[in-house]
Amino acid sequence: MSLAYETIATLRRRLLSKEIHPRDILKDLFTQIDAREKTLHAYTYLHRESALAAAEKADLSLPLGGIPIALKDNLNTLGDPCTCASKILEGYKAPYDATAVSLLRQAGSILLGRTNMDEFAMGSSTENSALGLTRNPWDPTRIPGGSSGGSAAAVAGRIALAALGSDTGGSIRQPAALCGCVGLKPTYGRVSRYGLVAFASSLDQIGPLTRTVEDSALLLSVLAGHDPRDNTTDLRPPEKFLTQKNGSVQGLRVGLPKEYFLPGMDSETESAIRSAADWFKKNGATLVDVSLPHTPTAIAVYYILATAEASANLARFDGVRYGRRATDARDVLDLYHRTRSEGFGAEVKRRIILGTFVLSQGYADAYYRQAQKVRALLRQDFEKAFTQCDLLLTPTSPEPAFPLGERTQDPLKMYLADVFTISTNLAGNGAISLPCGFTKSNLPIGLQLIGPRFGEETILRAAHAFEQSHDFLQRLPPS
Amino acid sequence: MSAPQINISDVASLARLTLTPDETAKFSAQLTQILGHMETLSQIATGAVPEVTPPAQPALRQDIPTPSLSIEAALSNAPAQANDLILVPRILE
Repeated sequence: MSLAYETIATLRRRLLSKEIHPRDILKDLFTQIDAREKTLHAYTYLHRESALAAAEKADLSLPLGGIPIALKDNLNTLGDPCTCASKILEGYKAPYDATAVSLLRQAGSILLGRTNMDEFAMGSSTENSALGLTRNPWDPTRIPGGSSGGSAAAVAGRIALAALGSDTGGSIRQPAALCGCVGLKPTYGRVSRYGLVAFASSLDQIGPLTRTVEDSALLLSVLAGHDPRDNTTDLRPPEKFLTQKNGSVQGLRVGLPKEYFLPGMDSETESAIRSAADWFKKNGATLVDVSLPHTPTAIAVYYILATAEASANLARFDGVRYGRRATDARDVLDLYHRTRSEGFGAEVKRRIILGTFVLSQGYADAYYRQAQKVRALLRQDFEKAFTQCDLLLTPTSPEPAFPLGERTQDPLKMYLADVFTISTNLAGNGAISLPCGFTKSNLPIGLQLIGPRFGEETILRAAHAFEQSHDFLQRLPPS
Repeated sequence: MSAPQINISDVASLARLTLTPDETAKFSAQLTQILGHMETLSQIATGAVPEVTPPAQPALRQDIPTPSLSIEAALSNAPAQANDLILVPRILE
């Protein structure tokens, strides 16, 4: 079997036993990429030569020694493009490494390529990329989810073993769910955001997309930790996750928030999530009915706060210091207007305008400040729920992958599909999405497990136990 | 509170964006619909609730200079430069 189909944990064992060489992994991955990338368009950039050179001098004694990893195209990597799938960053080459990238390098991994995304991570379908859309490996007429759609399609399509993504409102978990892989959004403050191009700084978090929960834990163990360059990172000492795997959920209290089981939700999704909850009960967990009463406000809160923060963060793209610069500007104000109007795509402009409006004089109290207060109530909902349970179990997405083009003209409908993931970002908690079933038309369904803040070990143990007793991983997308 | 009429061109100008007539028409309709959805927030009682503030800073590093980007690296992406400075169009007449 092609090594492109293996997990990181298995390949590490085979590398250490000298059964295979890192170049063998790359060879098989590039064979797969040559066969599938034309259809999927998961990558914006591939490091063919530098990856092969790195494979020859890989240090296998390191935790990810010899393992190729793909990066979402919003993580700065010294000397490489970092397009954020935007025309405004045309020609930009990063002058430094993001901390997450440095940590991967220090752990011995090989940088394989950069993955497609919605422009500046604004979207849920990877259709908002100035570099072309990405397709779902299970059905190329459908979206892969977003904004880390390239990362999810690459991992699920067996053209990457693992990839990093970023999650501001579900951008790791939702594409993982729609492509049938494992996506982990760590607790806010767990992983340094230094060098991640900022969308909404109080919500953004970097995390792994992998085939298995074990691989997710391996990557989180490398990425987690305090970084003096991001003082929102937590000071707790570095942890190694999932070192004890007993496969048990005995005694675990699993909360089912009633607001996440909506009338009219996709019946196959609901059925798969209910079956997953039954599995937890049969294996010794206790199911607890809980309520997160402010959930119906989460979309509004999120799209006020995220766009407000984005309107400030994206002010830096002005044509002065890097990226695209409009030619023949009359003066500096004209330069800003022309560079930004030519460089940003429609969704980014829409969100910058919305964010500017909700912060503007006369409206900031009604929108921005009110949203910050309701955010506090949402957080209290989570804190209260976690006095009754150890984990929350929910769908990741209310529906499986939808057809390409279906929602590009209806942004509100696109936003509403984020309903099950955004509250976790607003509260700051960690959460994972992992496969829990397939629809009759062979589309993956994702299960979300949300933990208390810094509860990743509990999340990963429960997810691993669930994964081990199911065979969703054996099912492969059509080639 | 009902959804306000948003003057798209004014707000776009604050954000240093110039919209085409097509964009203005499309965004006006879409943002009116989105702001309509956001009206749900005005019904939530938040009188005594404190706003969420940025996360408490766990620690500030010592105020000691550490290696940073070289001038060459910092200017490596500048669209126009001279004498270790970035060139921009005239600001004052």
